[in-house]
Amino acid sequence: MPGPETDLLQGTLDALILKTLSWGPRHGYAIARWLEDTSSETIRVEEGSLYPALYRMERRGWIEASWGMSELGRRAKSYALTGSGRARLRAEVAAWRRLSGAVGRILEA
Amino acid sequence: MSWRFWQPDLTNEVDDELEFHLEMRVRDLIAQGMAPDQARAEARRRLGDMPVMRRHLLHLGRERNRTMNRTEWMAELRHDLGYGFRTLARNPGFTAVALLTLGIGIGATTAIFSAVNAVILRPLAIPAVDRVMLVSEFYQGQRASVSVGNLVDWREANRAQPMFTNMGSIDWGNFSLGGDQPERVLGARVTADYFAVMAVSPLNGRVFTASEDIPGGDPVVVLGHRLWQRRFGGDRAVLNRVIQLNGQPHTVIGVMPASFDFTNGTEELWMPAAFTPEQRAQHDEHYLTVYGRLRPGVTPEAAQSMLVAVQRLLDQRYRNANGDRLVQVEPMMKQFVGDARGQLLLILGAVVLVLLIACANVANLLLARGAGRARELAIRASIGAGRGRLVRQLLAESTALALSGAAIGIALAWVVIRTLVAAAPASVPRLEQARLDPATLGFAVILALSSTLLFGLAPALRTARTDLQGVLRTGQSKQAGTRKDWLRQGLVATEVAFALILLVGATLLVRTAIHLQRQDPGFETRGLVTARIALSAERYRSPGEVRHAFESVLENLAASPGVRHAALTTQVPMGPGGGSNGLVPEGKTPGPESAIDARMRLVSPGYIDAIGLPLRRGRDLTPEDRAGAPRAMLVNEALARALFPGQDPVGKRVLCCEGAENDPRWKTIVGVVGDARSQGPDREVSPEFFMPIAQAPDAAWDWIGRTMSLVARADRDPLALTPAMREALHRVDPSVPLYRVETMEASLSQALAPGRFRTELLGSLAGIGLVLALVGIYGVVSYLVTRRQAEIGVRMALGASPGAVLRMVVGQGLRPVLAGTVVGALGAFGSARLLATWLRGVSPSDPLTLGGAAVAIVAVATLASLVPARRATRVDALQAIRSE
Repeated sequence: MPGPETDLLQGTLDALILKTLSWGPRHGYAIARWLEDTSSETIRVEEGSLYPALYRMERRGWIEASWGMSELGRRAKSYALTGSGRARLRAEVAAWRRLSGAVGRILEA
Repeated sequence: MSWRFWQPDLTNEVDDELEFHLEMRVRDLIAQGMAPDQARAEARRRLGDMPVMRRHLLHLGRERNRTMNRTEWMAELRHDLGYGFRTLARNPGFTAVALLTLGIGIGATTAIFSAVNAVILRPLAIPAVDRVMLVSEFYQGQRASVSVGNLVDWREANRAQPMFTNMGSIDWGNFSLGGDQPERVLGARVTADYFAVMAVSPLNGRVFTASEDIPGGDPVVVLGHRLWQRRFGGDRAVLNRVIQLNGQPHTVIGVMPASFDFTNGTEELWMPAAFTPEQRAQHDEHYLTVYGRLRPGVTPEAAQSMLVAVQRLLDQRYRNANGDRLVQVEPMMKQFVGDARGQLLLILGAVVLVLLIACANVANLLLARGAGRARELAIRASIGAGRGRLVRQLLAESTALALSGAAIGIALAWVVIRTLVAAAPASVPRLEQARLDPATLGFAVILALSSTLLFGLAPALRTARTDLQGVLRTGQSKQAGTRKDWLRQGLVATEVAFALILLVGATLLVRTAIHLQRQDPGFETRGLVTARIALSAERYRSPGEVRHAFESVLENLAASPGVRHAALTTQVPMGPGGGSNGLVPEGKTPGPESAIDARMRLVSPGYIDAIGLPLRRGRDLTPEDRAGAPRAMLVNEALARALFPGQDPVGKRVLCCEGAENDPRWKTIVGVVGDARSQGPDREVSPEFFMPIAQAPDAAWDWIGRTMSLVARADRDPLALTPAMREALHRVDPSVPLYRVETMEASLSQALAPGRFRTELLGSLAGIGLVLALVGIYGVVSYLVTRRQAEIGVRMALGASPGAVLRMVVGQGLRPVLAGTVVGALGAFGSARLLATWLRGVSPSDPLTLGGAAVAIVAVATLASLVPARRATRVDALQAIRSE
């Protein structure tokens, strides 16, 4: 399903979603918008892969879903970070720092 | 956790979520100035292939729901268990009794299971041990050892019709291991393919090859792990070292692993059998133990019928040597475990009875508590707990009980196993390997959980069935008051029945033990000490040399201070060695039909005085019965009766042990000695005869492996004679070790050890069962009294005497006891038969034992119900009615 021009690693998408939710619960569309707004043209999140990622992470217990009222006044499903999701995010960030640091050193050498 | 209250359809969830996403996107796009139609198309385009994604999300959602349901179920279980543990903690009295009962049941069962597992269930450390067969000759309805000739012919037949991949033989014997401290070591001569049959590779070095297993092959030896550790400190450099065995140098070529030791105390070294051409041709001497490994797909039956057909031909060819011999092929494991199997399974059965009694007790406790808690449960139900939920909660409670019980049981089992291993006689193979291993722990947990179902389900269902409305209105469980409590009574009856069965079994064994203790062995056991001496064939070649060496040792010993009597014999009572021979009395045609089988002993003159056998008729053997003089022998009364019924045997002649048609070598019976139970107090007297060493047939020294026992009688402590015995031997040959130094009292005690162990084990199980059953009876009568407090109060207010109340309560308590006693008596009558092989001096259906045990159980049951019944007579009527 991922689009041809975006080759975003699964783990990276998860990390981005976790990061989004770290500011508070939001629904799927809001996550998509936030990703669009904050990431530049370099990284494009294919919308089609957003929801499967959300379902998988919910199953793993990193995020938790609940139904509430949206700003439109209709039923909307929103996601929130759980304790284990928060831990996961910390681990992802640390891993990313290590990786980018290492790659950077190699490329700039 | 919001999930719990939210269980909508998954399809709606996915559709709603995607729909919401699209709508939001369209709104945003329109806000950015796009036309509505265009915006809708763009929003769909961005989201990608909708039907595919929808299917994908539904799949992911289903998986997610499954995971969450599981998590939720676990959370509820944790919650229920936690509640269960808290409830237990709130009722310390109930909990203590229940846990102790359950712990004892599970502990005893687990310990015995670990023993059964070690001895019977766990396979030997032999690959595919179920294919390893013991191949024996079958003679006169009994398994018999195999002659070398027959083994050679069987192998030949196996080449033509392959049934076994390998067939190997083993022949155990003692070897003198030289060195600074000469030592007697149990070893074995095996054929090269013996190791192939067992399929066990050496730890170090190698086993022998076929080229070493021939006469004149290199003298080599393979060491057992224990000997290697003990004598050589586990040094790998022992390989290729030369050691002295029976005075001859042998090269160590290999060391077997520790697991190649099927019982503690078996052989510690292996040497090549190296059969000579003469041995390979002879079919007369049957002394080998033969094992074969079945080829894949071959059944023991097929192998047996092939060998039987072959043996029939051999029997024809070697008529005199074989007679009518057949062949038996049976799994090695079966022979190996032998008698211990029946014994352990029986004990396991007894232990299961104890466990069932314990479970019945706990079930009763739970039932009583369930009735008491009817109100609490009714309230829970009325605020919305479903019936299933209530049952689950009650089950969780008994699971909490079972798990705690299992913990106590496992701790208890650990203690019991250690005690068991320490107390058990050496005759139970591999028992020392019993331990709490994963299999045993698994057994304990399964036991705990299945007993949860057994004793938790019935009370749970019952409580859940209770009429909740009625309970709430009256504050009482209705059915408990009005309906006969058949379940509770049935449980008590069952306990009593099982306890009675155990008690009868234990009593029978105790009576056997008393009988054996009082049994006169037929000789004087006190003050006797015995020891074995083995001379090697390499150093003591001729019969004359052997005899002279033994007689010199005896002379030295007889002259030592403190020795009242000294003698030599091939076999002391309850000791190793000895053999049997057929005796043909004068006047009968010699042949297998007229021969009477009797145990043979070669003795020095004065043996019967030394051992304390009474002389009934005739005279004792004397030094005058020397080589060249008329051959003399003593017989015991049993043999005298068998040889010459109704006649005086003294002066009569018999054929035995040697001779030919033209040289019959008659032996004259010179005296008759009293019967002795020389194989142990629990064995029947067997026919025996005694011949003087001086007149022993030359071949006899080979039969007995040049090994004899030295016997000495002391005035005081017999063990004080040990140094004198060593000295007597040392002066003749310092390189020969004295071994198996034992007092006769110790041998006697050892012979009785298996029976004693059995008796103590079953006795303690019966004791535990009885106590548990009494606790059960006490509990039920207590409950009865509490339930009927008001009624009793009224009765007493209306003038019933305390005595009448006592009778009523005890009578009611005893009803299930009597029912259980009747059932138990029937059960005991049937199951005591299983004990028959171990009973002596008492019949399995002994009415005195059965009646006595039944009376005892009813009596103690009465006592157990008297205590709560007395409480009933002190009921204050007014208070009882008011509390209602």
